[in-house]
Amino acid sequence: MNNDNHTTPVLQVDSLNVYYGSFQAVRNVSFEVRPGEIFGLLGPNGAGKTSTLSAVEGLLKPQSGNIHVAGYSIREQPLYARANMGVQLQATSFQPELTITEIIQLYAGIYGVDLSKEQVLSILANIKLQDSANKKYGQLSGGQQQRISLVIATIHDPHLVLLDEPTTGLDPQSRRQLWVRIEAMRDKGHGILLTTHSMEEAESVCDRIAIIDHGRIIATDTPQSIIDSNRERPEVIQASRKGKITLEDVFIGLTGTEVRS
Amino acid sequence: MTTTIPSAGSVFIKLLRADMTTLWRNRRASLLVVLVPTVILISWKSIVAWKGGPFVLSNCITVGLTAIGLMGYSNTLARDRDKGIFQRLRVSPAPKWTIMTSRLTVQLFMILITTIVLFIVGDKFDGISLTPMGYAGGLAISIVCGAVYLSLGQVIVGLIKNVETVNVVTRLIYFIFIMVGMFGELGMMGEAMKQAVHWSPYGTVKNIISAAVVPTSWNKDSTMALLATLGYTIVFTVLGVRWFRWNTR
Repeated sequence: MNNDNHTTPVLQVDSLNVYYGSFQAVRNVSFEVRPGEIFGLLGPNGAGKTSTLSAVEGLLKPQSGNIHVAGYSIREQPLYARANMGVQLQATSFQPELTITEIIQLYAGIYGVDLSKEQVLSILANIKLQDSANKKYGQLSGGQQQRISLVIATIHDPHLVLLDEPTTGLDPQSRRQLWVRIEAMRDKGHGILLTTHSMEEAESVCDRIAIIDHGRIIATDTPQSIIDSNRERPEVIQASRKGKITLEDVFIGLTGTEVRS
Repeated sequence: MTTTIPSAGSVFIKLLRADMTTLWRNRRASLLVVLVPTVILISWKSIVAWKGGPFVLSNCITVGLTAIGLMGYSNTLARDRDKGIFQRLRVSPAPKWTIMTSRLTVQLFMILITTIVLFIVGDKFDGISLTPMGYAGGLAISIVCGAVYLSLGQVIVGLIKNVETVNVVTRLIYFIFIMVGMFGELGMMGEAMKQAVHWSPYGTVKNIISAAVVPTSWNKDSTMALLATLGYTIVFTVLGVRWFRWNTR
């Protein structure tokens, strides 16, 4: 751990700019995620969420800006920065020929954590998958795959956990279970950055959120503060459907009603 | 406190173990890769007397190397990229070179297995026996020659994003290599085609394997073929690395 202070951000993004050719996907984005905090990044399709997350993960090189994970620069010390983050990607998979025990052991090894078979079984028991220890990843249901993916993301007890639309495609029970697990990670002191399209999820789970649109952050605060500070705006009132202003109404009011591709 | 990351060597070993397990679990597909040149070798028994054992053996090894590079390597690479397996590995503290080197090491292992199987089948069924130097030279040069097809596979995966298209294109190129390579080399498609095949990646590889299994037959033409093979490998590697993308988006 490079940050001894509990208030030092586990993720610091400063003036991030990402271009694809001449198109600017991320414009001067800055935010931070603190230990023991769930920070939600919200935005319509193509708003710049995935580009921001990809830059944090080190999957793309930003044109300018600085990203530090647990004090390590993703540009200058990428392996150290990655060693301090756990990632659950939106479109990801593991080797379909390997059993989930083998996959957990592989990723634990990559992060420098040695796990015996008994320890893996204990981890699987915690997520109620001990009977599937010898099953291959492709044989699991969507909810079970999400649980494995989350276990692997946190197997090395990282400072920062990145979750890219973690509840997409899950049934309500699995989604609620996942929220409980995310909150448990927060309670253990992990800083969590999650992207989501679900306003219900953002409102229920996130301590703070940032709304991003056209590559810019247009609002950052707690969900309730964002609702309170925008409830009088005409476009938000117009977006309201049931009289009571929700985060979704504020989101639609701020980002517009137009469907993005 | 400071962060410690595992050594690149230990990460490489973990990845290699996983890739070897994957190879073992896909043993039926691997068996097919070995089976095609083996069947050709057995069915070409009558040609041994006409063109010589090294000619037949080198053709069959070349077919095996082509299958490993084009069908084995490129297809698993395209599939894993499409599924996001590489992206998941890239967000871990595994250095990029360990991910790809582990994959290549598995293919080099397959090259060794295929060559050894063909040596044994050639000896048992076609009576093609070599000197110890011939076997050693054949094994060593198979690895050198395998690199040209592995790098060609990398170029194809670099150029084509769709996994199904990669599958179709590699099968097509494999088929063309076998048909045009084998029959062109025999002179069945005219003198111009024979010359073209001779200096193609198929012909140069076949030529140097043929010389390596009988070291006393190594001549200037073999050296030129080796240089051409190394040239192809360098060009394909540069293009393959340049064009390769870790994801399909």
